[in-house]
Amino acid sequence: MTDSAGGRGGATAVAPGSGDGASSQPAALRVADLSVSYGRVAAVHDVSFSIDEGECVALIGPNGNGKSSIVMGIAGLVARGGHVEIFGRTAPPANVMFMSRHGLTLVPERRQLYPQLSVADNVILGCYSRTRSLRKARTSDSYRRALTLFPELEGHMKQKAGTLSGGQQQMVAIARGLAADPRILAVDEPCLGLAETVGKRVYDALAGIHADGRTLLIVEEAPVRALQLATRQVEVRNGVVVRGSE
Amino acid sequence: MKLGNLIIAGIVTGSIYAAFAACVALWYRVSNILNLAVGDFAMMGALGVDDLVRVKHWAIAPAILVMLAAVAVGAYVYDRVVLGLAQDGRTRQEGIVVTFFFTFALSFFLEGLAEVLYGTDVHAAPDLWAGPSLNVFASGLHIERAGVLVVGFAAVVGLALAVFMRRTLRGKAVEACGENYLGARIVGIDNRQYRRLLFVLSAVLAAVFGILESPITGYTFNSGASISLTGFLAAAFAGFQKPGKAVVAGLSIGLLEAILGGYVSAQYGDTLLYAILAAAVLIRPSAMGLDVALD
Repeated sequence: MTDSAGGRGGATAVAPGSGDGASSQPAALRVADLSVSYGRVAAVHDVSFSIDEGECVALIGPNGNGKSSIVMGIAGLVARGGHVEIFGRTAPPANVMFMSRHGLTLVPERRQLYPQLSVADNVILGCYSRTRSLRKARTSDSYRRALTLFPELEGHMKQKAGTLSGGQQQMVAIARGLAADPRILAVDEPCLGLAETVGKRVYDALAGIHADGRTLLIVEEAPVRALQLATRQVEVRNGVVVRGSE
Repeated sequence: MKLGNLIIAGIVTGSIYAAFAACVALWYRVSNILNLAVGDFAMMGALGVDDLVRVKHWAIAPAILVMLAAVAVGAYVYDRVVLGLAQDGRTRQEGIVVTFFFTFALSFFLEGLAEVLYGTDVHAAPDLWAGPSLNVFASGLHIERAGVLVVGFAAVVGLALAVFMRRTLRGKAVEACGENYLGARIVGIDNRQYRRLLFVLSAVLAAVFGILESPITGYTFNSGASISLTGFLAAAFAGFQKPGKAVVAGLSIGLLEAILGGYVSAQYGDTLLYAILAAAVLIRPSAMGLDVALD
């Protein structure tokens, strides 16, 4: 990653709609009046917050209150209203490729791996937004770095991802996200269903990713670990940000 | 000599099965939908070229090009209008109805269209390589020239698909689409684009096979269903997942069918074949990937 900046503790909350905010650099991610609906059911209403480059922000709140819908809306995976900017560029709605190419990758809830494909294939497909060449993907720095972050996966590269343990699958999902060489990595419920020790290992890896200069947005229902790593928190209840929007 | 000729006949028949199985497996891999209209695309290709050449007196090359273009356009329109409505809207349709019946309707439509356009007689596209059957290495073993074309084209297509799926990132992206729709979108794969592209490609490949193969068997307006069934059967033995494996399965079924017909019973060869295949599915579904498909 070449565009590292900031670091832990350098958070500057930016009011929604306040342009580039307090710093001269545009926010890494600025969300204003974001709304997400499923049919007639509104899951998220007028959510606004921003994240500076290098920050680690925890998006917390009880289960079923719209946290995942917020990151899915930001990542372009579901239709959304409102305004999303990434490094100063306005993102079109529901355009995953735009967000990925401009530096945001989502590690989704429940991993969403390809269970019949090998671990190596799962990770290498993370490079898809940057290249269509298998050779270039295999020799890319981001692919190599993603794998070196999880030496536990080394002996499982040819194994089908669906046969791994939950913790190993989470590592594959994070490695796939990193293979895209994102400037912002959004991770949705990284410890869902994992044992305590495995959850700690996952958070150690996330701390390493953050120390590498990447911006993190961590979605957590049980936020103890996330708040230890995060420089700031945004709390969501009933689809509305109740704390941390400014 | 008898066994050699049976093997050659089995390879030709197996190549036909393999070709249609590859078309079924290829599109299933990206969409999780069985293309039960694949045989109808083959039938339309063969009957269309026959009509243009024999009735309308076109030269064979433009006739083939026009029919392949027509099949491609038809498949594209069907994907945009029908599959697009079901798969690309806010609520994505999934499940067994989509898997089995979305292309079944297309099959019926094409069958009816062919009956109106070409009647109920048996037709065949003109031989692309006319002449007497070939004597293999002067050994007394014979193979029809159309059979050579079918085997050659099936081998090229099977090899190309296997290389595409295993050795390219786009091939892996195709597999990702079928494995996990959302997971594929997350890494920036355009599921719709791949589904559309491979539906059109599999339809055109089927039409080419129809044009090459029809001089051997002859087609009528309702030949599509039985062709699709053979493709479906061989693809099932590759778990509907791997076009390369589907080609091998198709070849094996063709060989088994020919040998059973030659040595056991010409009348009951098919019955025995299906009994063996059914037993194989019951004994070891996982070995054939059928557990994945059924799951």
